Amino acid sequence: MTTHVPPPERRKFLYIILGSVGAAFTALAVWPIWRYLLPGEKTGEDAKIPIARVDIQLGKAHFFNFRGQPAVVLQPSPGQFIAFSAVCTHLGCIIQWQPEKGEFLCPCHAGRFGTDGRVLGGPPPKPLDSLPATVVGDQVLVG
Amino acid sequence: MNVKKSVVNFIDTRLGIRDILEQNLTKYLLPRNVNVWYTLGAVLLTLFMIQFATGILLLIHYVPNPAEAFQSVEKIMNEVPFGWLLRTLHAVGANIIVIALLLHMLSVMFMASYKRPRELTWLSGFIILNLTFVLCLTGYLLPWSQLSFWATTVATDAAGAIPVIGDDLVRFLRGGSMVNEDTLGRFFALHVMGIPLLLGLLIGFHLFCVRRVGVSTPPFGPDYLPRELPDHFEHEEHHGGIPFFPNYVIKDTAVIFFFLAFFLAIVFFAQNLFFPESAFEPADPFVTPPGIKPEWYFLWAYQTLKIFPSELIGLGVQGAFMTFLALLPFIDRGTERRPFKRPLFMTCFVLGILLFVAISIWGHYS
Repeated sequence: MTTHVPPPERRKFLYIILGSVGAAFTALAVWPIWRYLLPGEKTGEDAKIPIARVDIQLGKAHFFNFRGQPAVVLQPSPGQFIAFSAVCTHLGCIIQWQPEKGEFLCPCHAGRFGTDGRVLGGPPPKPLDSLPATVVGDQVLVG
Repeated sequence: MNVKKSVVNFIDTRLGIRDILEQNLTKYLLPRNVNVWYTLGAVLLTLFMIQFATGILLLIHYVPNPAEAFQSVEKIMNEVPFGWLLRTLHAVGANIIVIALLLHMLSVMFMASYKRPRELTWLSGFIILNLTFVLCLTGYLLPWSQLSFWATTVATDAAGAIPVIGDDLVRFLRGGSMVNEDTLGRFFALHVMGIPLLLGLLIGFHLFCVRRVGVSTPPFGPDYLPRELPDHFEHEEHHGGIPFFPNYVIKDTAVIFFFLAFFLAIVFFAQNLFFPESAFEPADPFVTPPGIKPEWYFLWAYQTLKIFPSELIGLGVQGAFMTFLALLPFIDRGTERRPFKRPLFMTCFVLGILLFVAISIWGHYS
């Protein structure tokens, strides 16, 4: 009895078909995996964050959570409120308020920032990200 | 016929196991002057197995959730019987593995064993070293302590210096703009499954390369001469050498026990050596503890970022150095392997080690 061996063209055709289907399935699988791994869009990304005015004392800093990131709001003079991201622009550590010096200090590499967010010294490459702050009644709205 | 012999006979009849053992143990010959540095591979294999076993056991009580992670580690340390031992073995073991990996790499460089035909062995070993660093970094976050949180923040933030994609890359690594529960999820998945799987495959490939190409002859002694290599594949034979089993296995075992003694001495007598104070406080995303530093093996990279005026230059220097190391066998192509006949390489080698130590010490005290 002889065994029928299919011609090589048929095998080549099968390789191409199976290879193409495999590549298509791989490509189809990559997209959902990529989307799964991408950071999700948080709801309330544009919402303003309310902070009670009484919590922000004159000459002191109040730290709060701004859309998942630490932020700080100050009252440098009566009725004036300014807010910044509390994330140091050098390596992402959280700045600390130095009440006796009236400036911010990053504990990681001693970066210093003024009450207007400007870099006063150390390695930070740019000022703190400024956040809009408006007074509405007895609240300060940040964002 | 006793039971043991009949079991071996049963398996041998079906799988030819005696032949495999003979070819790979008693008839597998190694150079007669093989030295103690050659045993570091077996040491590393043992240490990786200890990490794997202790890691699985820690998973029984660890909870990968920011609200419970720190408490679950505290529970392992204080309440679960011998939990402190397993956790300390795992944490200290990671450091011992890095020490053994660096020694292994340095000894291979000193004896120029990376040279043709062992380029793939070197390359796979280099990737194993880097994957181990990723494994250490991802594992560092899991206890969700102040140290974990801020060391991860600083480490992931460094990627932001890459032009164009930097910010997106940091967000992707963290799963958000800051280190948060999504970062913990990602790092946990990578630490317990993704990287160990990849590492297992690479270790398998590395061992295959070692066995297939053959162990290199130590480039010492009056009889050593650089080997002329043919254009085709050739297994390096060592006629008249010592058998892998029992002669070499005994040597391996002795060095493994030496490392285990060193390892256990730290576990029992200096277990806080690798745990600064901030490792015992739960993570607080609003308060960065002062003097946060990465682990000792990342200090050189941390300090390099600080030395240069721009982080991008610092990252570029690190990238160039790591690429040079990865491609070393393709750059250093001469056949000479004797250390004292390679003065330029040896000078760079010694200066490189001194520079690594000096920058690390500088990083620690800066």
